[in-house]
Amino acid sequence: MSIGGSDLDKAIQQLRACRPIPEAQVREVCYKARELLIEEGNVVGVDAPVTICGDIHGQFHDLMELFRVGGDVPDTNYLFMGDFVDRGFYSLESFLLLLCLKVRYPDRITLIRGNHESRQITTVYGFYDECLRKYGSANVWRYCCEVFDYLALGALVTGAATALEPTDSPYAANTTTASVADIDQDIEVETLNADGEVLGRFARASSESNSQSQQNSSALPPAPDNVGAAGTGASGSSNGSRRNDTGAVLCVHGGLSPLIDTIDKIRLLDRKQEVPHEGAMCDLLWSDPDEIDGWGLSPRGAGFLFGADIVKVFNHRNDLSLIARAHQLVMEGFKEMFDSTIVTVWSAPNYCYRCGNVAAILELGEDGSNAGYARSNGDGSAAGFIGAGALGTSGFGGNAYSQAFGSNTLGANGNRRLSGVLGEQHRLREGPGRRYRVFEAAPQDSRGMPAKKPVAEYFL
Amino acid sequence: MSAPNIPNLKTLLGTRRGGSGRGRGRGRGLPESPQASSEAVRDEAVRGTDQDAAGSRVSCVQLGYLHDPYASCFATQQSTRRLPLLNRGTYVRTSAIDSLVRKFIETSPEQPKQIVSLGAGTDTRYFRLRDYYPDAKLIYHEIDFPTNTASKLNSINRHAPLHAKLIPNAPPTNPLSLPPGATSYYSPTYNLHALDLRNLTCATFSSSATNLPNLDPNVPTILLSEMCLCYLEPTTASLIIGTLLSTYFSPATPVALIMYEPILPNDPFGRTMISNLASRNIRLPTLTTYLTLEHQRLRLDSEGFVDGCRAADVNFIWKKWVPEEEKERVAALEMLDELEELELLLKHYCVTWGWRNGSGEGTQESAANKVFKRAWEDMVEQDDRQT
Repeated sequence: MSIGGSDLDKAIQQLRACRPIPEAQVREVCYKARELLIEEGNVVGVDAPVTICGDIHGQFHDLMELFRVGGDVPDTNYLFMGDFVDRGFYSLESFLLLLCLKVRYPDRITLIRGNHESRQITTVYGFYDECLRKYGSANVWRYCCEVFDYLALGALVTGAATALEPTDSPYAANTTTASVADIDQDIEVETLNADGEVLGRFARASSESNSQSQQNSSALPPAPDNVGAAGTGASGSSNGSRRNDTGAVLCVHGGLSPLIDTIDKIRLLDRKQEVPHEGAMCDLLWSDPDEIDGWGLSPRGAGFLFGADIVKVFNHRNDLSLIARAHQLVMEGFKEMFDSTIVTVWSAPNYCYRCGNVAAILELGEDGSNAGYARSNGDGSAAGFIGAGALGTSGFGGNAYSQAFGSNTLGANGNRRLSGVLGEQHRLREGPGRRYRVFEAAPQDSRGMPAKKPVAEYFL
Repeated sequence: MSAPNIPNLKTLLGTRRGGSGRGRGRGRGLPESPQASSEAVRDEAVRGTDQDAAGSRVSCVQLGYLHDPYASCFATQQSTRRLPLLNRGTYVRTSAIDSLVRKFIETSPEQPKQIVSLGAGTDTRYFRLRDYYPDAKLIYHEIDFPTNTASKLNSINRHAPLHAKLIPNAPPTNPLSLPPGATSYYSPTYNLHALDLRNLTCATFSSSATNLPNLDPNVPTILLSEMCLCYLEPTTASLIIGTLLSTYFSPATPVALIMYEPILPNDPFGRTMISNLASRNIRLPTLTTYLTLEHQRLRLDSEGFVDGCRAADVNFIWKKWVPEEEKERVAALEMLDELEELELLLKHYCVTWGWRNGSGEGTQESAANKVFKRAWEDMVEQDDRQT
């Protein structure tokens, strides 16, 4: 009675239609998933290209929108950074679909654990009640929780290109040429809407013409023209080639822990348990970056706050160019901080059917070193990167980009100060090229599948 | 590279519809048809908001946020545990207004005081105040739709702890001797007026003024609107306050207005709130007129509360009004993960409080006239003027 190929495909079909699968099948899928996950290390290795996604929170219709915008599995290689369940009305269908896809295409989808993948949290925030409501017993919830215990704690993406292959997509209606760099430059960041239209395109800081786009970008604080090289800490050369000297990208749901100074220390944890209330494993799933120096107490009551200095030292020590994390609602879908050394990716649009935010996914391209050209993430067509809905704030540009998303105190000057602390040889790695696709919530009642009318609660 | 195998689900529009907020008791049985825009339906939706608030209160009490032995007497629905952030918000809202009210009562405690709660619904504040201040010379009035007052009277009648509070220092009558179908109740301390507030807009000094028995025109009074005036058109809300001030109070009487209302309609959260509530037939007309705290202050001033116009959003109140040890106690009640959402939500509600001293031209301002100034001296407001 093992769940084989065709049964599994049928289950996936059923879940895609947002219909729960029978309890016996859930048990089988969960068993298979655990067999797979137990083989994964605490930090899963993932090769670029990959599309990195943040919190889903049971917003099934928006997960389908995410797949529509980012490409389907297995065409696109996905990495989900946890918080699949709770809050939304379809935690069960969302998580089981992702899990079935994991079992069906284990090398094309990576799932890591969020703080909501926990027995304690799911009993407060909805997943437990949902399972009870949909199956009449807590069995399915129990099977899922057992899977939670086996989810990896992080992922390490390697082989990401430093420069994006620019899309030949059209510009979105409200995109000004000032926010779009020439495509013959090294493209560090590109933002697209749900229709795949370019909202902004930004060349790497060391390129000449950036200062111009920066000055024309109204949403940005004015920055001196010559901060580029310091901002990236790169060699300052701009040879225009598609370089591949980027460091790895660590993906984790929450953030760093004062108990963890190397990625190897994450590998040593015993993760196969309920998320503890404290300790390194808890911190990885609960912590948040903040505009502070060093470590701070988290107002969440679990995990810590950590500042730019912590991130930069950690990234340097571990040869990382970027930390990608989720965990915090950001109204624009993504938020880079600390000179683009860490980014928050949030993939639940109009969170809880109430917050009015847009969502984003982050695509990292493959470096061209093997084949001499960069391959797009999906089916290889020129429109390999398709995209999403209107971006709330599309006004950023050029080499001031990182400052727009970072702290004011830790702009170029802060970075210079830090490189003094680290010593000249302790330069930060050049970050990977980053393509953000921004999308809005799917219309809840137009999905042709069971749709509970959202009843967001307010104070009345 | 879109995913062609994922159907464009908009083509399947309309295959399954409906299912109004089942099981949660909100928007029950409201038609979702074109006539949903009709006034009667909207009135019904507004009346329905009271049970929503009652449920939130019970959730808070059961989890230990609030001490309120009376909340469960009024909630007609099975209690639904609310999300931690809603419990936190209900807690802050209730305790903020409690603080303002209690400081008022504690200022010159020998002086008689009056509270008029507009759209009071199932609010339990009168009963809780009676417990805190058994000897206070307090005249309490609640005004609401007849259906709401009738069911409130019914609940009071059924629960001894409630009707025992109506006539303090007197042997409790059990149950209250009320005619069947009673919608109003009058006593020297507690009065329940069955009245559509909009009837006040056409009242004048003449005999046509709607009768509000036992309302004392000379006693310092708080008018309280906790999510009430916000359901009315701004002009209607102004007329109601104007009529109350001019018709029911002597010009020399100190009168204050405390409001709890949503703000910030124009950001993504605010826009989503308006559209979500619209789908439940709930409109918030004042929200789109009084956009910010500063608008709310100006509103208080123009309504005649010229001697003090203060406002703070609920996020500010949580941070600045709630003492540290109380914050720790409340934060420990439930694990609250959704901090960003909480902040977003709380910033979209505010408490405003304004007052007039009530000394007319040429009259000497007495100590009694300064009751609100003295009561609320230490209540810090939010300084958002430079932003």
